Amino acid sequence: MTRRLVSLAIGVLPVAFLCFSALFPVLALLQAGWSTAVAGLLSDPAIQWRLFWSAAQALLTCMVVLLLGIPVGWFMARHEFAGRSMLLRVMMLPFVLPTLVAGMGILALFGSGGLAGSTLEETPWLLLYGNVFYNLPLVLRAGIEGFGRVPETSLMAARTLGASRFAAFWRIEWPLARPWFLAALCMVFLYCFSGFGLALLLGGYRYATVEVEIYRMVAYELNLGDASVLAMAAMGGALLVALVHGRLEKSGARPISGKPAPRVPVRSLAGRLMGVGVMLILMVFLLAPLLAVLWRAVASDAWSVWLEEDTRLALFNTFRFTLFTLTGVLLIGVCHALAARHTVLLRGFALLPVVISPVCVAFGLLLLYPSLSASLVVLVSGYVLLAYPFVARGLSASLDSLPAQLPNASRSLGAGPLATFYRVVLPLVAPSLRRGLAFAAATAVGEFAVTLFLSRPEWLTLSTLIYQRLGRAGQSNIAAASCLSGGLLLAALLAFILIEWPDHGKENRA
Amino acid sequence: MLQRRLLAALLLALGTVQAAELRVITHSSFELPKELIAGFERQTGAHVSVIKAGDAGEMVNKLILTRANPVADVVYGIDNTLIGKARAADILDTRQPGLPAVKEVLPGAVSIDYGYVTLNYDKAWFASHKKALPKTLDDLTRPEWRGLLVVENPATSSTGLGFLLSTIEQLGEDPAFAFWGRLKSNGLKVVKSWSEAYNTEFTRNGGSRPIVLSYATSPAAEVFYSKTKQSDSPTGNLLLPGAVFRQVEGAALLKGGKQRELGERFIAFLRSVPVQQALQTSMWMYPVSDGVALHPVYRFAQTPRAHQSPSDERIRQQVPGWISRWTRTVLR
Repeated sequence: MTRRLVSLAIGVLPVAFLCFSALFPVLALLQAGWSTAVAGLLSDPAIQWRLFWSAAQALLTCMVVLLLGIPVGWFMARHEFAGRSMLLRVMMLPFVLPTLVAGMGILALFGSGGLAGSTLEETPWLLLYGNVFYNLPLVLRAGIEGFGRVPETSLMAARTLGASRFAAFWRIEWPLARPWFLAALCMVFLYCFSGFGLALLLGGYRYATVEVEIYRMVAYELNLGDASVLAMAAMGGALLVALVHGRLEKSGARPISGKPAPRVPVRSLAGRLMGVGVMLILMVFLLAPLLAVLWRAVASDAWSVWLEEDTRLALFNTFRFTLFTLTGVLLIGVCHALAARHTVLLRGFALLPVVISPVCVAFGLLLLYPSLSASLVVLVSGYVLLAYPFVARGLSASLDSLPAQLPNASRSLGAGPLATFYRVVLPLVAPSLRRGLAFAAATAVGEFAVTLFLSRPEWLTLSTLIYQRLGRAGQSNIAAASCLSGGLLLAALLAFILIEWPDHGKENRA
Repeated sequence: MLQRRLLAALLLALGTVQAAELRVITHSSFELPKELIAGFERQTGAHVSVIKAGDAGEMVNKLILTRANPVADVVYGIDNTLIGKARAADILDTRQPGLPAVKEVLPGAVSIDYGYVTLNYDKAWFASHKKALPKTLDDLTRPEWRGLLVVENPATSSTGLGFLLSTIEQLGEDPAFAFWGRLKSNGLKVVKSWSEAYNTEFTRNGGSRPIVLSYATSPAAEVFYSKTKQSDSPTGNLLLPGAVFRQVEGAALLKGGKQRELGERFIAFLRSVPVQQALQTSMWMYPVSDGVALHPVYRFAQTPRAHQSPSDERIRQQVPGWISRWTRTVLR
């Protein structure tokens, strides 16, 4: 009973935050549009196609990233090789890349006149490829962690009892890693379904998603009636996925105890072959666009851009906003994960930031708090909102797998609840907390809030600066934008390395 | 003595705290040299806070949404495609500052600058492919020029809207949409924004389209921002009849704004010679004020002699219908 009360008390902060920064604004916008809403909109075939296509491309993306994620995740969780730890950090880079820059990188590879020679333009494949590029990191990091926790004893017992390697994988490893994959896939689905930036760029118009349609209706037509009908339909669908997932996760979550299986060096021929396959997958779906961006940066020869006053301001702001975001998300995310241990509803609530339509949030904030709308508070809360699910969900999954005996033992040995949390629970969940924070930092460095929210010139960040440069004609602007994008990647990589530094040694220990 | 000094310091501090704040809302392309704005602040003792609200169309909608509690005192960046909507929604103050009359007017607001939306072409591409330039809108629908053009979507880009409007003004409504239908079957590419069209689709920047919908000043910007000194622009204006839209951009006091007098001074400041000179190479628009010399780099951009722009009133009444018709014609 007291336990429930305590989680309720802890839950007040995150719930209040989610309500004020996301839920109420969306409701305000829906209410404003309600009087002119016509449900008949949903029988328009063009709208039905948007809804269908949004769900279909999200599902397709999930399938592709799962198929790619399982072998790569398994390989990286079981094997030790040079550069493994660095590869883990590099994997998160797509998250920071402004979509226009990623689009330029991807088009340089696969667009008309691209290096790959073939053209994927005007097809849904380009959008799908972009989706995989942006979402594979999520599944990979989660999968590696999931497989990485499988206890050595279970695996050995299975093999001793005569299970083949595959049977051991199918019956032991996969079921244990599945909750991690499910959690990540759910995020991927929701990101793609209510995906905004990337679909705008690569989808062309036929393959644009619902969110793009909502954006057009709200931002350009101020057609709040139709927009609210469409947003309700889309958010309803997304909410269903989120709730189903919350339930699945809660029932599938079980504590894992035992020493994790160690990582071994790649020795056998099969292992080597698999390693080559994994590298190939990573090269094609993840590294190639990053390398294209870096190559463009090196070729730009625009180094002097780093000496400009604007760039200094942008660097300072990027650093400052990242720090604000991390502080906010750490505080609220930890509270959320702790409170969500006992309630399915609160678990689903962690997905709120990806369920709701960002366009509706941005315009709803304007409606609800006009006097605050151009203030730093709104901007930072926007960043925190976006970064939120990474910390809250990752931590939830990690807490679920924590065996109850450990905190119980600590309590019976006389430690108070706070001491138990600080000395026992926190060290055990720290790696996934740091992983969540790294993702959170990535979203803060990224381009979000560049267009949707009111902004001020003095809030210039690196990604805003890149967009500013790309908003003008002329080679030196493109060169500067390319150079800044390369720098953005390196700076983000440095941030990831620093945030996850304490795990660095452990990861490399075979 | 010390006390007096402290008192003076205190008063000074209070003064800075209480410095009037002028809130200027504008679109994301707004840019003026910092020294100019700082100069205005020194002159008036006020603080100018600039709020960027996305592109111009988005900005006007945000202003309409917040008209009960205006988020700014002055707006800059409303143009002739949006002024009708802004006036109909009653977001602008009915009394605007009176400033010297100029040729390019924006009824209900004060015009500050103007420019032309038009097609640009990649000179090197046309030279190396030994292809002639199209001479009419209709040429763009012929097999010879198939798949060469990229335009922005009029539903999401003011550049795209300008082109749609000029085709309608030139051809008449029904023939114009018939033209768009033929353009679509001739391999037209549509993207969301100018940045995307110019940076990813235009042949000059690694894309596959040698003709891009842009601005008449872009060839000058190409020279201004080139990496090496140029004697000629790598791009040129393709001023086909029916592909030149004149965009007049202006500023206005917002209804319910707090700083009327300061706002008036700010609008006058936007019309002052230093700003009118600076905006030519910061926002790439022509100054409306008479007697402001054009920047030398503008000789690289051919100035259109004629333009095809529907009246503000016609734009206000028809644009929503035209955009949905365009969407049905071109995108579905």
